Amino acid sequence: MHIVDGALSNPVVIAGAVAAAGGIAIGLRSLTLERIPAAGVLSASFFVASLIHVPIGPSSVHLILNGLAGLLLGWAAFPALFVGLLLQAVFFGFGGLTVLGVNALNIALPAVVAWLIFGRLIGRGSPLHGAIWGGVGGAFAIAGTTGMVAVSLAVSGDEFIPAAKLVFFAHIPVMAIEAVLTGFAVLLARKVKPDLFLKGATL
Amino acid sequence: MKHVILVLTLVLTPLPALAHKVIAGVFAAGDAIEGEIGFSNGDMATDTEVIVTDEAGIELGRAMTDEDGFFTFVPTQAITHVFRADLGAGHVAEATMLAADVVDILGEEAPVAAAAEQAPSAVAAADTPTVAALTDAQRKAMAEAVRDEIRPLRREIAAYKEHNSFQTILGGIGYIAGLFGLGFYLAARRKLAV
Repeated sequence: MHIVDGALSNPVVIAGAVAAAGGIAIGLRSLTLERIPAAGVLSASFFVASLIHVPIGPSSVHLILNGLAGLLLGWAAFPALFVGLLLQAVFFGFGGLTVLGVNALNIALPAVVAWLIFGRLIGRGSPLHGAIWGGVGGAFAIAGTTGMVAVSLAVSGDEFIPAAKLVFFAHIPVMAIEAVLTGFAVLLARKVKPDLFLKGATL
Repeated sequence: MKHVILVLTLVLTPLPALAHKVIAGVFAAGDAIEGEIGFSNGDMATDTEVIVTDEAGIELGRAMTDEDGFFTFVPTQAITHVFRADLGAGHVAEATMLAADVVDILGEEAPVAAAAEQAPSAVAAADTPTVAALTDAQRKAMAEAVRDEIRPLRREIAAYKEHNSFQTILGGIGYIAGLFGLGFYLAARRKLAV
């Protein structure tokens, strides 16, 4: 999921950085005092999630958890995920510093979109109802990220369809796992701390 | 349901590991450059085309990796060689061999050949005593044997370097806590000032 240095063409890298900076600016503005601790916790879980490898056949994939961050934070997912990505690049060498903007955009934007679509549904109805929508949102964010990664590669020269297929199919198991994880996280949060959810999705 | 799972597993298994770092290394191997490309989890890049360029990006040649992710390239010019392979899905392997190292590789052959043209007898006289006990073929065989011996070690060191220690992870979490704590402090101060 992390695109490495040198895989993308310069215009893509620059456009990604600009767009990510915009997202972070919106996110920081929406990050109120009360939400900063939640953003920190989700940033830390995103940072660690990439180290949890799920073995699938001879290979393995790692968790991303961007959906959960998006559903709970809204636009504030941008700065939270950016910090996680920055530290992953510095500490683990995942991705790279020049492609940080593109990676942040690819991972945070689907998370925000998931929140715009499902955020309202999660806070409503019974906790179980919310949890199911949370699971759908979690899977949606991963699917969106695979699409964004494929688009980034496609505009840099890779052929879109094979690249998109490869990334998408490899992440179907991750979508399933994250749907369950996000669902349970939402269920728990709805039961013990219902005010964690933003009141509806507003731009 | 079982069939669906079976089909899914069959569809998914041949995919390469996507969530791993790419490891690429190049080493001198006799008169050639030997390289290795793979993922940090031990999967090697098989049958991948490696494009060899100079620093400016001008192509010098191409090589293919074998089933162990190894490739060899025989340099002809004493300049910096850049090896690049596209493993797909955003994974690009890149390794560089500096001009000085390439000179060493070429040096094994070039000076001898050049000198032989100019003054064969003098070179032979100056050169033979030091290597009297070993023929060229023997030296090459020894170098080959040593390389084969250290290859697993090299791979293990590469894998070890990719290992994330517990301290690193805790350090990262500490940074996050500190950063968001700082943000919290600044936001709180602004709120108190109002």
